[in-house]
Amino acid sequence: MRQAGIYSGILSGGISGRTGPHSLPLARIKKIMKRSGEDVKMISGEAPIVFSKACELFIEELTVRAWMVTLQGKRRTLHKEDVMAAVSATDLFDFLVDLVSVSNGNGHANVVANSHDMVFER
Amino acid sequence: MDSAALFQGFQRISRSKSDVGTLSPVSITTNTPANPNGSLDHSPSLTDTNPNPNSTFSGDANNNNNNCMVREQDRFMPIANVIRIMRKVLPTHAKISDEAKETIQECVSEYISFITSEANDRCQREQRKTITAEDIIWAMSKLGFDDYIEPLSVYLQKYRELEGDHRGAVRGDALPLKRSQSDVGGGGGVYGAPPPYSLGQGYHGYGGGYYMGVYGDGSGGSSPQSGGGGGCSGAMGGGGGGGGYDPYGPYN
Repeated sequence: MRQAGIYSGILSGGISGRTGPHSLPLARIKKIMKRSGEDVKMISGEAPIVFSKACELFIEELTVRAWMVTLQGKRRTLHKEDVMAAVSATDLFDFLVDLVSVSNGNGHANVVANSHDMVFER
Repeated sequence: MDSAALFQGFQRISRSKSDVGTLSPVSITTNTPANPNGSLDHSPSLTDTNPNPNSTFSGDANNNNNNCMVREQDRFMPIANVIRIMRKVLPTHAKISDEAKETIQECVSEYISFITSEANDRCQREQRKTITAEDIIWAMSKLGFDDYIEPLSVYLQKYRELEGDHRGAVRGDALPLKRSQSDVGGGGGVYGAPPPYSLGQGYHGYGGGYYMGVYGDGSGGSSPQSGGGGGCSGAMGGGGGGGGYDPYGPYN
């Protein structure tokens, strides 16, 4: 799979809404940042850039850890339960524990952008 | 907000490929009176730059102020991007269940919110209005994502170098771009190569090890502050500049 190198990716464009140079859309990142709190006001242009890379690292780490669990089960399909197990096993991902909890019987009904935003009945 | 107490979250509807994503709240019961205008109020936060005719909005007349009415596609990273990144680290034969993809998608959004909240708290404590890239990096370090700091700093530095090439105009909040390698031994490890530009008159003597000037302005950047404007040294594991400077001094 062809992957843009860091130089070619960045050279082909600056801060833009396109996904080209950065693997994640900056406008979407900015939206999610704004939703993280009522008082999030201004975001510098570079912050979403940093996040696009950080989210990439995050996805990679979470995926690798989940895949380890998959391998332990001698399977080849990465399931949600593998992701949940990886979250539980990693202190760094404590903030995700509620998000992926299995007691959530309503699909993704517990998905709230920020766990300390408003507390909803679960 | 009364409606919030009754809101029970979103129910993700399984979607066909043609449908970008619809979202309906699990339940909203409000006792608020109907909007006297009698029309739905489409606040800017609800509509996207590409409005999706398939998206559904609740019939609640008061959804103008209702944060619940956000389409799924606005709350998450595009799943195709997420999948592509996942596949980079998985063996070729690996398969990923749809549920797993969605879960990771949600985790990413939670991650962004988590970091942003922390960065925002810091900005507020320091009475700054704008969340900067350095704030983000600082927040990540604080929340335990130390391993990300170095690759992110390198990424940001390269981005700034390259952006400096394309942009002649100086921004209002021009950030210091680089730390001179000769400044601090610890800092040099992060930034590596010496700066490609000779600064000439744009060079400030620096108390904190920062200089500006790559934004094309020969006089050395728009910011009136010298040395130490908004540095990221706090997140660099102590590789900070000459001791005793406050990187956020100019913002106070």
